Amino acid sequence: MAEIPEESLQLVEDTQKGKFLTFSVGKEMYAIEIKFVTEIIGIQPITEVPELPEYIKGIINLRGKIIPVMDVRIRFIKKPVEYNDRTCVIVIEVKDISIGLIVDNVSEVLSIADVDIVPPPDMNKEAENKYIKAIGKVGKEVKLILDCERLINNNDAQAISKIA
Amino acid sequence: MLISSTDNTNEDGVDILANNLDSEPMLELFVFETFELISQLENIILNNEEANSIGIQINEVFRIVHTIKGSAAMMNFNSIVSLSHSLEDVFYHIRENQPENVDYSTLVDVVLRSLDFLKNEVNAIQIGSNLDNDVSIIVQEINEFLSLLKNENGLQKPKAVSTDFNMQKNNEVPEVTGENHFKALIFFEDGCEMENIRAFTLMHNLEKVANVISYCPKDIIEDQETIEIIRSNGFEIQFRTDLCIDNVKTLLSNTLFMKDIKLETISPIKNKHSSEENDNTGRDNNQITVKQSMISVNISKLDILMDLVGELVIMQDMVIQNPELEGLALNSFNKASRQLQKVTNEIQDAVMSIRMVPLSATFQRMHRIVRDMGKKLDKDVKLEFIGEETEVDKNIIEHLSDPLIHLVRNAVDHGIESPEEREKKGKSRSGKITLEARNEGGDVWIIVRDDGKGLDRENILQKAKKQGLLKKPENELTDREIYSYIFLPGFSTKKEVDEFSGRGVGMDVVNKNIEEVGGTVRVDSSMEIGTTITIKIPLTLAIIDGMKVRVGKSIYVIPITSIKESFKAQESTVIKDEANKSEMMMIRGDCCPILRLHEFFKVQPDTTNLEEGIIIVVENESRVMCLFADELMGEQQVVVKAMPGYIKKVNGISGCAVMGSGDISLIMDVSRLLNIS
Amino acid sequence: MKVLIVDDAAFMRMALKSIVEKSGHEVVGEADNGRKAAELCRILSKEGKKPDLVTMDITMPEVNGIQGVALIQEFDEKIKVVMVTAMGQKSMVQEAMENGAFDFIVKPFSEDRIKSALTQIQSILERNRV
Repeated sequence: MAEIPEESLQLVEDTQKGKFLTFSVGKEMYAIEIKFVTEIIGIQPITEVPELPEYIKGIINLRGKIIPVMDVRIRFIKKPVEYNDRTCVIVIEVKDISIGLIVDNVSEVLSIADVDIVPPPDMNKEAENKYIKAIGKVGKEVKLILDCERLINNNDAQAISKIA
Repeated sequence: MLISSTDNTNEDGVDILANNLDSEPMLELFVFETFELISQLENIILNNEEANSIGIQINEVFRIVHTIKGSAAMMNFNSIVSLSHSLEDVFYHIRENQPENVDYSTLVDVVLRSLDFLKNEVNAIQIGSNLDNDVSIIVQEINEFLSLLKNENGLQKPKAVSTDFNMQKNNEVPEVTGENHFKALIFFEDGCEMENIRAFTLMHNLEKVANVISYCPKDIIEDQETIEIIRSNGFEIQFRTDLCIDNVKTLLSNTLFMKDIKLETISPIKNKHSSEENDNTGRDNNQITVKQSMISVNISKLDILMDLVGELVIMQDMVIQNPELEGLALNSFNKASRQLQKVTNEIQDAVMSIRMVPLSATFQRMHRIVRDMGKKLDKDVKLEFIGEETEVDKNIIEHLSDPLIHLVRNAVDHGIESPEEREKKGKSRSGKITLEARNEGGDVWIIVRDDGKGLDRENILQKAKKQGLLKKPENELTDREIYSYIFLPGFSTKKEVDEFSGRGVGMDVVNKNIEEVGGTVRVDSSMEIGTTITIKIPLTLAIIDGMKVRVGKSIYVIPITSIKESFKAQESTVIKDEANKSEMMMIRGDCCPILRLHEFFKVQPDTTNLEEGIIIVVENESRVMCLFADELMGEQQVVVKAMPGYIKKVNGISGCAVMGSGDISLIMDVSRLLNIS
Repeated sequence: MKVLIVDDAAFMRMALKSIVEKSGHEVVGEADNGRKAAELCRILSKEGKKPDLVTMDITMPEVNGIQGVALIQEFDEKIKVVMVTAMGQKSMVQEAMENGAFDFIVKPFSEDRIKSALTQIQSILERNRV
């Protein structure tokens, strides 16, 4: 296989740096680093799989590739809602794992400068907090930057295999 | 990669080929071919052990060793070269001198050990690690064997090979008067090797048109020293011929690797032309090449092809069963799509058949195991094959090898008795292990049968009890269930541990490996008659015939091969066990547990009334169960896909399949379902 | 030149083929024993693809290279057969030369050795053609 030259990889990372995809779940606006995002699709028919944690809704067929989908609402212990035509699946790839994140609504791609990114307040009271890596300030608004690795890993994989 | 880690020049400082060539495919082919040759040689050696002689297959044996040596030399794998060179010497001696006293059993030992060494080396090459094993020990062992062989048989003169042909007596020499007298001093290119033979050949060619008067050095054939002389001083030859100097030059330069020719005329030249051999060949240059009828293909390419065919089948269904076509009269469309389906089916079959390999190679490997263990344990064991030509998917074969090794080992170790013991029992002194393969529907059965002492039912039972493995009351256990405990991890009935088996690891590998490819293992045994272990595996992993069943909105696929029957239930045949909250059903006198799929998979069904839905009776390993679903949706061939790694294993599900609609259905793992309940 | 490669080891054929093709010559066929080599020569000739050069291993199953040379020379003396031999097989080489082999190359060979042999044979062929 032809290898991508080092510089062009560098280039890709550079152009992606500081860019975030923002989306909403409930009232909150979240952001994830663009480098994790593979694509964004509308909601798909989901095949339920038994024995999975509640927030893993099942599997979908992404052009022949089968990937699991996670309902971010349930993951953050928010009230589940019916999916509608604004519901989106953000397909991300983290550490060779492809997974779809079901979110209420995808809004835009933003640049957030390093100086505008601050560590999250140490609140430690809500489930979603442990998945927040940082807080991004955009004008007067605040975006919660997600820690993708934690979101999909963080004992959950183990939890899943334990059930099986 | 690996090549660069080894020395890139051979002893003579010649750049080896691997340096210059595309070494990746070369290396791959080298590894593949050398493994093949090693196993061919191993089989010949083992198959002739009974006859106690290699017999006429010596030529074949010699050729194999010679080929291994040649290829390894090209790649500069010196340990392989020196080992195969020593082996070649032994076989050369046997072939040429046909010694009468050959300690065949020692020969076999030495050869097998050498082959093990070679296998290790090739393995190391394959994974790209360094070749740092010490070859000298085994080489010395071979050499000692050879000198012993030579001593015991007296030093016979090698059979006359045509080394003694005499130039003067060469009757092809035309009468040459030789008007011109020449002296030529010839140097060959450095490193072209065997210069003495080159000199001899040159002279031989010259003799056709000339009278050789003298040459130097003499005795070029017999005396190896002459090679060095020719290298440093050149080869001098004087001859008389009618040809002119130009023609002589041409003639002499019709030889490869000529570095320099000094040609002197000793007598006056007369110009005379003689016709020289000249070459004339066709000069059209079109592209027809005659290829070999066999090629070797990387398995990963076949995997890709297989995946693509799978996609093709799915896409075809998407087109043909497209909802937009519903209700339209499409006569010619339907006709064409039937044709299309026929062709895709054929492609599928063809691709499958490419991946099928006969079990014989896997079976052949067992010869070695039976021999080594029999020798060690002083047992006389014959190995017999039935149906070894049966073919199985390449991926499955890989999962079969280890289980078979363990089963065969176990049979030799625990099954077959010592010759004395057998004699006492009135059995033949030598035991027999049979490996049988045959097709049964969509499955392949592989049976390992021995005529040994059989499994000790009581012993196994007691042991299982002690380890707390019994899941049922003792009197409810069938013989098969008891025997199958030998496959549980940590279960070993042998009192002491030995080299081959009895560590309690191994037999559980059998179950694990076979289950991985969707197979099952069954044990039958009777005391003093023997043990039969039957492995049932699917022909292929990739495509199955499935029955679609619906539960609420979900569609599941059950492999057709495990479905016994399906019917509408009658409430009267259902037995409810309120205490255990379980339901059963009488089918022709047998009591069958019922598994409600909606409960198992926790989905919302259309109905929970047994009479309204459908009962599907599934069977695996003679265990039977009734599955309850809403309805059957018809048969479909599906391409099995693994569940995404993130999800890991789900009970009762073996994988998933993309249906014609693009939706995913889960494929049920019937053997697991039966184990869960 | 049109080259036919004869060797029972697929590995050796691949090695030779890659060098022959790299040197701008055409491999018109491959065979794994002497009999098949001679048959192939006949077939190729009918297709107008008669080999100019045959590289011939010596130790092969069924019909070895020594017999193979004889068969090919019997069919057409103009085909140049070059033996590819392991070091030390001198009596075999002699026999092969007796049977009409043109020359020999010793294994293991370097790429350059084969390239130079190919160039030399080609110039010999051209010279003789003139």
